Amino acid sequence: MSALEIRAAVKHYRSVGETVRAVDGVSLTVAPGELVALYGPSGSGKTTLLELASGLLSPDEGSVVFDGREISSLSATESATYRRRDVGLVFQSFHLIPGASAIENAAIKLLADGFSLRDAKRQALPWLERVGLGARAGHTPARLSMGERQRIAIARALANEPRLLLTDEPTGNLDSKRSREILELLRDICRERQIPGLLVTHDPQATMFVSSVHTLRDGRLHDGLDAELAVAPVQ
Amino acid sequence: MSRSGVPRRVRIFGLRPTALLDLYRWRLGRHKAQELLAGMGIAIGVALFFGVLVASASLVGSASQLVHAVTGAARFQLAARSAAGFDEGLANRVGELPGVKVAAPLLRENAEIIGPKGRQSIQLVGVTASQVFLEGAATRDLGSGALLLAGGLGLPSGVASDIGARASRPVTLLADGSAHTVEVRAVLGSQAVGPVANSPIVVALLEVAQRITGRPKRVTQVLVEPKPGADGLVERELRQVAAGRLDVQSASQELRVLKATATPTSQSTALFAAISAMIGFLLALNAMLLTVPERRRFAAELRQQGFGPRQVLLILISQAVMLGAAASIVGIALGDLLSRSLFHQVPSYLTLAFPIGTHPVIPVTTVVMAFGCGVIATVLASLLPVLDLRRGRAADAVLHDAGEAGQDISKPAVVGFGVTGAMLVAAVTIVVVLVPSLSVAGGVVLALAAFCLILPIFLAVVRSLTPLSERIRGSMLALAVVELKATATRSVALAGVAALAVYGMVAIQGARHDLVNGLDAAVVQYLDTADIWVTTDNNFLTINSFPADGAPTAIARAHGIASVREYQGELLDVGTRRLWVRARPAGDRTLIQASQLLHGNLTHATQLIRQGGWAAISSGFAEEHHVGVGDKFTLPTPSGTVSFGVAAVTTNAGWPPGAITLNAADFRRDWQSTAPTALEINLKAGVTPAAGKHAVEQALGPRPGLLVETFQERRARYEESARQGIKSLSEISTLLLIATSLAIASALSAAIWQRRTRLASLKSHGFDSRQLWRSLILESAILITIGCLDGAILGIYGHALASRWLKLSVGFPAPFSLGLGIVLLTLALITCIAVAVIALPGLAAARVPARASFQE
Repeated sequence: MSALEIRAAVKHYRSVGETVRAVDGVSLTVAPGELVALYGPSGSGKTTLLELASGLLSPDEGSVVFDGREISSLSATESATYRRRDVGLVFQSFHLIPGASAIENAAIKLLADGFSLRDAKRQALPWLERVGLGARAGHTPARLSMGERQRIAIARALANEPRLLLTDEPTGNLDSKRSREILELLRDICRERQIPGLLVTHDPQATMFVSSVHTLRDGRLHDGLDAELAVAPVQ
Repeated sequence: MSRSGVPRRVRIFGLRPTALLDLYRWRLGRHKAQELLAGMGIAIGVALFFGVLVASASLVGSASQLVHAVTGAARFQLAARSAAGFDEGLANRVGELPGVKVAAPLLRENAEIIGPKGRQSIQLVGVTASQVFLEGAATRDLGSGALLLAGGLGLPSGVASDIGARASRPVTLLADGSAHTVEVRAVLGSQAVGPVANSPIVVALLEVAQRITGRPKRVTQVLVEPKPGADGLVERELRQVAAGRLDVQSASQELRVLKATATPTSQSTALFAAISAMIGFLLALNAMLLTVPERRRFAAELRQQGFGPRQVLLILISQAVMLGAAASIVGIALGDLLSRSLFHQVPSYLTLAFPIGTHPVIPVTTVVMAFGCGVIATVLASLLPVLDLRRGRAADAVLHDAGEAGQDISKPAVVGFGVTGAMLVAAVTIVVVLVPSLSVAGGVVLALAAFCLILPIFLAVVRSLTPLSERIRGSMLALAVVELKATATRSVALAGVAALAVYGMVAIQGARHDLVNGLDAAVVQYLDTADIWVTTDNNFLTINSFPADGAPTAIARAHGIASVREYQGELLDVGTRRLWVRARPAGDRTLIQASQLLHGNLTHATQLIRQGGWAAISSGFAEEHHVGVGDKFTLPTPSGTVSFGVAAVTTNAGWPPGAITLNAADFRRDWQSTAPTALEINLKAGVTPAAGKHAVEQALGPRPGLLVETFQERRARYEESARQGIKSLSEISTLLLIATSLAIASALSAAIWQRRTRLASLKSHGFDSRQLWRSLILESAILITIGCLDGAILGIYGHALASRWLKLSVGFPAPFSLGLGIVLLTLALITCIAVAVIALPGLAAARVPARASFQE
């Protein structure tokens, strides 16, 4: 079983005339089976931290380690392979292919790993069933609800049977009921598969479904949820 | 003023016009590149449409200006039936007729003018002072013309500029088989002679022209202006004077004859204009469609801010009109440039028979039509967001859509388009079998069918690729097919444009190829009766006569010469047909070209023509006069109306109005002319063409007006001239090919560029740039290939129709041949150009950083 470890990571951005420390000495460990929520206002560095964890960015200082491997030192090709084989990514705006069916969308990332589409669909179907869309595998996103579209995106993230789940505002476009369903699903998946999951969110009700909660403010990580960010009652 | 004293401002649906301008200014500031791209697409479409329309209108339009500028108030003309003309005294008699107000005699002769910088074919026109009284635009300001032109030539500024001639300097004029040095007395600009300034008409006083052309006291035409109300009287008087040996015609008869002659070219150009219009419209539409997603979001944002549906509609339309108008103006300017630089070339075969100007004529209706089409296409394409204004749909629904809406294609639409396309093809087949003359219209309908059929073909190809793409491991075909299905509407539109372009290219190039093959065969058999030809210069129809002056005898005595025969040719107006009369010496080994024979027995027909009183006539003329082999027909010759028998029916030998082949002896008798238009010379066995040519040149002595050519040399010149007539078609089709390839490529590139976020998301899932690039290229290639296949299949059918029309309706020699090479070349060209252009933006899009997927 592998954990995600972010060790004293620092990431700078150069803006007009000044340097912004988007991530400022963040250390965080997500153990297998855990789903960790990361809160923070806009511009606090949440997405940057997610990019560091997925190998899309390298830290200026510190390191990101997964399964004992230093992710921050991977080459571009190795980094792509890491995302392809080990990581499942879920975005706020789904990034689904509009005219493609649910099963095609769920299977699409496996093509990058040399699968034929037929094999990819075969591998993705159980995940589509797992998220409750097995009966709607042939439907295009336009014929599905927002919650269902996000479920396809989750099935896509899981189709490669990842060992790490990274999600960026997965409930950002959903109503309260759909959000709860998605959060529950993410929690269950992390538990069942015993994989670490990092959830970047604004959704206060996420605290109900996660193992631990952290808040990022000005690039620094704090334990727990800031009172200012808890704008909605936690149910 | 309102009651409150506040100035009442103009409002439309509650919006002030200045607010509309401000909103568009804001949009331009925010989406410069997108608006520029859409504007470019619209401008290219409008330019293509406008350029072809102007090219098609200019030929007859410029000739019309020219004819009216010369004829002025003349209503009738008395015209000779041959270049030899008639006695000037007859023209004087016309001037004295009771009903005649003005009679202006003219002598017209084809000639070649040589200046310091070059040479040019012109028509020399001898005029008298009476021409001024007709008050045509070309002559009314030449009151002192007699003095101005005395002893020399008046050169239109266009010709003067082309050959480098200047006033008071000499130029050389080749006419009547001789060279003449003549002084340029005046260079005439458009202020002085109107449209003639851009025409190949060189003016001289009648006496000078008569001297140069070797036709003393002869004229070829008298323009007549009757006294008020005396039209009927004058026509009767003129017929009496003509006595059946001259033609009495309307003064604008030249224009009617030109229109009839240029009809095949005009119809082909019209076909192109129609295809260009469709492509132009679709390009504009496509360019706008690319901006639709963003416009939909913009409309939703406006509604979120409290704008009403009518106001949103008004804003969308006003922005489309502003963009469409600006782009259409640019397009018209580009199209004007195209029409002046590329399209406006008068075919040389026409300049031999008609003095056509090179002044482009741009009718106001053409400008309005091009502008209107550009704006309408833009407005129509911009109206898609209107669907979001439907009652019952949330104002900001589009902001929550899964992706690009409107890309799904319903089953009824597929069936509808497929059935319509198939029915159009079937209808065309039935109609053209029953009425061959409708083949060109059938060609236009087939283009529409090609567009309709693209939808079912696209879906069939994508469906048939799906199982294959699902089985292949590691290929990006699956991703390409998924993306094609995802953007079905846009893909079909792009493939449709490719199909139209390929259809046009294959059909027109194929027909052109057939025509060139037919003409080449006709040329070879027409010219291979002799080893050496002696003609006046630049005279590929062989209709300009010259005095023999003992040349045949001198040549016959030269070393290596086996025989010399005198060939005669002429153009003869019969109705609106300017027929090419070819009088072949009876000693020619062939009188009728076997490859051009449509009806009749070659040996028997040749025998009949040799014995005299028989002629081979072209199919168009035969059909018009309802005669066939063995029937009798009459021709209005200079000696009166003469009857001939139809020995055979042939093609038109490449001359659109038609050709008549008869015996030179008959011609000499009926045309009352012994002057040859060519000498046909055969060499003794073993004498090389070069040696024979040298011997003929030696025997002729210094005759700078005559040209000695071997069979091969004359064949090459003839073929060049014959092909030049259809050159503009090739240029238009090539331009269409390039414009379409680039337009498809730019539309595809823009569509790919808009997908960067999705590509970034794929990269974040582990796809690398090369995989995405391969997928994009595959997707584009599939799309273009679908368009090419559809266009090529129907294009071959269109090609067959066009060749059939050329052969049956116009009488051109155009035997159908599949020309698979041209089809494949066209397909390869379009695919290569488009894919090559797409490759770069495709690569740039594929290299989008994966992080971009987090940044939406």
